[in-house]
Amino acid sequence: MDKKNQQPFYNFGRRKFLKYGSLAVGTGILAACSGGASSSNEDLGENPIKVGVMYSTTGTIAIVEKSLQDATFLAIEQINTGTGPWSGKGEGIEGRKIQKVVVNPDSNWDLYNQMSKRLIDEDQVVCVLGCYTSASRKSVLPVFEEKDSILYYPVYYEGNECSSNVFYTGAAPNQQITDSIPYCYKNFGAKGFFIGSDYIYPKESNRIAKAELEKIGGKVVGDEYAALGTTEFITIINKIKQAKPDFVLSNLVGDSIPAFYRQYKDAGITADKIPIMAYPTTEEEILAMGTEYAAGHYTSFNYFQTVDTPENKAFVEQFKAMFGKNRVTNGVMEAAYLQTFFMAQAMGDALKAGKELNTKTIREYTRGQKFQAPQGLVKIDPDNYHTYLYSRIGKWKADGQAEIVFSTPAAVKPIAWSQTLYPGRVCTRPTPDDRSSPIKETGKDLQVKYLEKI
Amino acid sequence: MFYYLAQADITSSFSIVALANQLLNGISIVGILLLTGLGLAITFGVMRIINLAHGEFIMLGAYVTFLLQSTFNLDLLLTIPFSFLITATIGALVEVSIIRRLYGRPLETLLATWGLSIVLQGVIKLIFTAQLKYVKAPAYISGNLTFLADAEGSPMIAISYYRLFIVFIALVLLALTSYLLYNTDLGRQVRAVTQNRDMAKCLGVNTSLVDMITFAYGCGLAGVAGTVISSLKSVSPPMGQDYLVDAWMTVVTGGVDKLIGVLAGAFLIGESNAGIAYLLNDPVARVIVLAAVIVLIRYKPEGLFTIQKRS
Repeated sequence: MDKKNQQPFYNFGRRKFLKYGSLAVGTGILAACSGGASSSNEDLGENPIKVGVMYSTTGTIAIVEKSLQDATFLAIEQINTGTGPWSGKGEGIEGRKIQKVVVNPDSNWDLYNQMSKRLIDEDQVVCVLGCYTSASRKSVLPVFEEKDSILYYPVYYEGNECSSNVFYTGAAPNQQITDSIPYCYKNFGAKGFFIGSDYIYPKESNRIAKAELEKIGGKVVGDEYAALGTTEFITIINKIKQAKPDFVLSNLVGDSIPAFYRQYKDAGITADKIPIMAYPTTEEEILAMGTEYAAGHYTSFNYFQTVDTPENKAFVEQFKAMFGKNRVTNGVMEAAYLQTFFMAQAMGDALKAGKELNTKTIREYTRGQKFQAPQGLVKIDPDNYHTYLYSRIGKWKADGQAEIVFSTPAAVKPIAWSQTLYPGRVCTRPTPDDRSSPIKETGKDLQVKYLEKI
Repeated sequence: MFYYLAQADITSSFSIVALANQLLNGISIVGILLLTGLGLAITFGVMRIINLAHGEFIMLGAYVTFLLQSTFNLDLLLTIPFSFLITATIGALVEVSIIRRLYGRPLETLLATWGLSIVLQGVIKLIFTAQLKYVKAPAYISGNLTFLADAEGSPMIAISYYRLFIVFIALVLLALTSYLLYNTDLGRQVRAVTQNRDMAKCLGVNTSLVDMITFAYGCGLAGVAGTVISSLKSVSPPMGQDYLVDAWMTVVTGGVDKLIGVLAGAFLIGESNAGIAYLLNDPVARVIVLAAVIVLIRYKPEGLFTIQKRS
């Protein structure tokens, strides 16, 4: 820039500074306010139950979190109208309807923290349904623990956590990684190439997977990360070509996923030569990348849209009726859906027993709660607040749906800590929960336990 | 000779073949940088408008293609003129309604275009929802151009035809833009307005029309970039943000006075990114290249290719 053009910057005096400064601050406040809580205006009868719903509907993570919000809204709608899985229980929970208090943290980790404080302090919600990334969960965790409130968190995650203020309704490592790695070893070969987005979940998840693979005699021939939101994968694909692995394990998230699968096929690597096993790649991303790019690759998840249960058929039908025929359902959405019923059942039981709805009663009544979910019968583990879930592996077909090639016979008991990295470490909470440290080192090999059918 | 080197090093883990492959594929990164930077070279380089909504015009181009594909089942190549025209029209509207009122005030322009980028993202999200969208690549540009084959007969150096196609489109647009700018009456007028607006006005140049056409053309180029990239990457409302920083780096590194600077900037950044990413990894390469650009701007604030001027 020449001198002349720089002049306005040099003349940036106090007055101008105030002008622009206040403008900038004003924009910030405006953004925060417009992203503030909104409660629905529908008629909710007397004494509704306030529940916080905290998902980003703007920003980079909105693509996923919006669909979680949709699934949550469907569940709340069904509870309030006494339809779907809630039919026969009347409208609302023991006659009281759910009033959702919706906030939008704009994919900004700090805003999750502020919004959760606001939900708890100002809106005085009974509990909160929300969060997607581990970064946002870590951001709100101190708030929920300090103010002793409850968060229902619907996402598969890296484990190594056991808070008495969070109910984890997505997969723990032993419900996603532990079965998929031996499957890859047996069906594809010993050499794995691990990739992921550059943040806590993919790195921890790959670290656990690496330990699992090495334990059974396999080898990790490459370990590469791309910044969140990256859509250029030529280098990583080139490194994969050179390393000649038997399979690729992908922990990429968000808009990186379609870009990677497309460029993978475009670079001439076919699914029968080097298949991709992925965790965060679901029906939604497959639809966005074009189904022919995913055909033949694999995903390990608790739920697929093709799961054959009457509950799932109803769920898919009702979801499409509410949000459009071309939408698909996926595992995270199913978790967001089922956790809302866990919450409602717990509230119902507390009200039936004549108790007041607060953190303590909701916590105690959620423990051990069972629900006939789309994926099958699931249960909240009363010891570690994670969820008994099915572990499944799907092979993507040309129509964008998964053919389920592996499934556990029943829901698997969750283990919060990876047993390969921390052998024998468990989390057991006393009843009633006194919020003491729950971690116990048993020093023993934990056996796989299944949920018994009713 | 290259072949010879390749043969010698085939077994070692640091293979010269793989590096060659990487550098060849770096060309495709260069193509994308050139394509996304070209529009910015017009709006910033020629008109000195700090356009933070540039990425959103790329996004608009991608959505035009998505819309035409999903409703009329049009081939991706056939949507290119439409996305150029539609984004250029939106660009012209933006110039008339916002940019025109802010000439000579870079800070206000910066804030206004930043706001515009938020608004455009919001509008697209309202119309198309936040879901990722699927754009189909033309079937006839698939497969790979390959060189050298190893013992099993699989190719060792390969670049996909689609990536070559992106480079081709970028070079065609660069040639077309330089022709327009340096060999036509309109181009002469544009350059006259850039160099001395008041004098150009005195000599009878309709400066406001020239401004509008130039800005619209720059936005149209961004739209074409969005169309071409859309089938290789992801289409979503915030997608433009990814390209904005890269496009700015390209333009600033190359220098804004000559169009050839964009090519040089794209080549330098693309290839060094590819090379470093191969030796280390992607996030580190990005940090190193960004840092290098900052150092370069410190010592050569006008970029690599500049016209000597009296100030």
